[in-house]
Amino acid sequence: MWNNGTGAVVSWARPGIAILPSPDASAFRRFAWCAALVLAALAGLTALCKAGSEQLFAQSRQAMGTTFTIYLYAANEEQASEYFEAAFEEIERLDEALSNYRTSSELSRINRLAANEAVTTDPEVFELLQRSLDYSRRSGGAFDITVGPLMRAWGFFRGKGRYPAAQELAKARVSVGWQRVVLDPATRTVHFLVPGLELDLGGIGKGYAVDRVVVLLREMGVKSALIDAGSSTIYAIGAPPGKPGWNVRVPQPGNRLQAISTVLLRDASLSTSGNYEKYFRLDGRIYCHIMNPQTGEPVQGMLQTTVITPGATDSDALSTAVFVMGPLAGKRLLQSIAGASAFWVLGNPEARRTVAWRWPDRDRRTSRASRAMNSSVAQRNAGP
Amino acid sequence: MSVSISRPGETRAVPPSDQINLGVIGVGSRGKEVMRMMLRIPGVRVQGLCDVYEPRFAEGRKITNEETPIYRDYRQLLDARDLDAIVIATPLWLHADHVIASLESGRHVYGEKTMALTVQECDRIVEAVKRAGKRYQIGLQYHYAPWYREALQRIRAGKLGRVMQVYSYWHRNNSWRRSVSDPKDLKLERLINWRLYRAYSGGLLAELGSHHIDFANQVFGGIPESVIGTGGIDYWKDGREVPDNVQAVYRYPGGGTHFFSAVTTSRLDGSQVRAYGTTGSVVLTQIDGIFYEEPATEQSAALAETVLEHGVITGASYQAELPYRGLGHPIEVPEGKEGNPNYVSCASFIESARQNKRPEADEHVAWAEGVAVALGNKAIDQGGRVLFAEHVKMPA
Repeated sequence: MWNNGTGAVVSWARPGIAILPSPDASAFRRFAWCAALVLAALAGLTALCKAGSEQLFAQSRQAMGTTFTIYLYAANEEQASEYFEAAFEEIERLDEALSNYRTSSELSRINRLAANEAVTTDPEVFELLQRSLDYSRRSGGAFDITVGPLMRAWGFFRGKGRYPAAQELAKARVSVGWQRVVLDPATRTVHFLVPGLELDLGGIGKGYAVDRVVVLLREMGVKSALIDAGSSTIYAIGAPPGKPGWNVRVPQPGNRLQAISTVLLRDASLSTSGNYEKYFRLDGRIYCHIMNPQTGEPVQGMLQTTVITPGATDSDALSTAVFVMGPLAGKRLLQSIAGASAFWVLGNPEARRTVAWRWPDRDRRTSRASRAMNSSVAQRNAGP
Repeated sequence: MSVSISRPGETRAVPPSDQINLGVIGVGSRGKEVMRMMLRIPGVRVQGLCDVYEPRFAEGRKITNEETPIYRDYRQLLDARDLDAIVIATPLWLHADHVIASLESGRHVYGEKTMALTVQECDRIVEAVKRAGKRYQIGLQYHYAPWYREALQRIRAGKLGRVMQVYSYWHRNNSWRRSVSDPKDLKLERLINWRLYRAYSGGLLAELGSHHIDFANQVFGGIPESVIGTGGIDYWKDGREVPDNVQAVYRYPGGGTHFFSAVTTSRLDGSQVRAYGTTGSVVLTQIDGIFYEEPATEQSAALAETVLEHGVITGASYQAELPYRGLGHPIEVPEGKEGNPNYVSCASFIESARQNKRPEADEHVAWAEGVAVALGNKAIDQGGRVLFAEHVKMPA
């Protein structure tokens, strides 16, 4: 236990869980929050704020190639621990099923065998594959779980990217295409029509895991929580006590500290795709890790897309789909999804423009591009 | 272009005669995971769910994705005519009754580990398998983990020299308690958190250590001759009856030790099992394995020659005995042998059931693990050393 210099006492109840009593004054509160954030960053673990009879707990763990962080309100540390264990156990279970990095995963087993035989899989994995192909169909192929060979050719599988040789790219394109995946519901089998095809659920698996955790936590009685899958998919269960929702800040592409929009999320999911996580520059162009399956090349001219939908599987897949499709075609797709809204940042880092569609910015000021890009939004919304 | 989905019933990977209908007794977290694995095997269908906790039926049906028949009494499930094999994933204290009744109903059994709570119950299951003439496989999935099998193959081929110690641990940092919707409902608490109560559970040694114990049994080729154990309810003083901090040391005939530790207050190192041999060691995790060669011990003819001619040079020196961290060699699982241990284990069972052939992790493997857990717990409960010969009939 130590004093952070402002009178706010920070204590470690147990390894992994920090407790931060609620201060009164707003300046004091901001300072305490900063202290909590520093602690969370240092320990990679938890911040906690007392509110009403329940307290806020947070825990982070590595899974699905990223960091999952769960913030939730619980009566006490023991209860929070039970929630965290159950939630992370579920995420780990799904990682073991859906990972294409683990040779032992169900997805890897399907990838190894499905070009030679129809592979039976369990209803859960089968249904997720069905949903994935459904997104492919509805997005005209913009969302495609078979882009793995393209990702490899462009050096984005376990790498930072590189320009592929023409022959390499041509070979990869032959092994790509969601239409070449045959799903048979009668036998629950997956079959690839071409060799070399492989499934990669990187654009939907995290969202699905978040949806599963949401169901689990709700069943366990959690009324207020935020589930953050590597910041690319975020789901809000309810709202913090006394608040209308959870604050989620959409950053300026490439600058996490600068918000271009802040939304209040409640019983909904938000996903962001960006061109800045994995990319390389060549001859003045940026080549990002999000592929346009139709061209076989990284998407150009798109910096970031953020999508809000009622479910996390949807928002995860759709943020990728509309990144590839752009605002015009993207809006047509989103119109078919109840409760969807989206925010695009297009152009290049030097000349950006934004397009907001049904976008629920907290300050209702982001519908016009110029205002959305105004950093005053970020400054005004600084702090919790 | 529409989604490429062929019409229902168009193809069948498995002829009807190879269809295996499973009944599942115990649809908790483990039962559900085994179901998911079983449903990845062509021709397997779950045709019966049995539990005493009502929410499990909906959870189980969500996994099967159909209106699977449900039973609130396992005897009713066993009366169903269309079941070929039974999965038992109930609390440990019920294993013996459920496994034996299932075998006596003429079904093959996939019984979750640990085999049973007591030595006598383990003996009864072995007798029941023999009597029924049906197949029994224990759900020790790491027995089927490709990297475990590869490691054991190399150990048996002498690649590690002589293995003198297996050192294993499963370290977690959580209460090991499941959330109960109504904490005041003590009956529900015992139902959900059965692992924490000694009458139902073998505690950490049974639920976590059984995998490592099975590995050590394989390395040393049989069951231990003695065990000393210690443990206590040191941190989670929440009414539980099983220790939250457990260590057991098994001695094997002919020399060889297996040390196991489980703690619930630190997750450093997680779950690992290490086999230390005279010429090499292996470290196995839940996802992979690494071999380490011992530092070179070969004779140097060149040095022996020069010492006589040139002598040696004196000078100050100090060499601390640092941990050896030589180059490790990741275990390469041969192509075609990769796979999730749970899946491989379940697929092996289904193959045994279809062909009526003895599974690798049969009742004898299960018995060796089961009695080692039971006697390890006896040592932990009473303190001191327990001799196996005083409690079990030692195999020849």
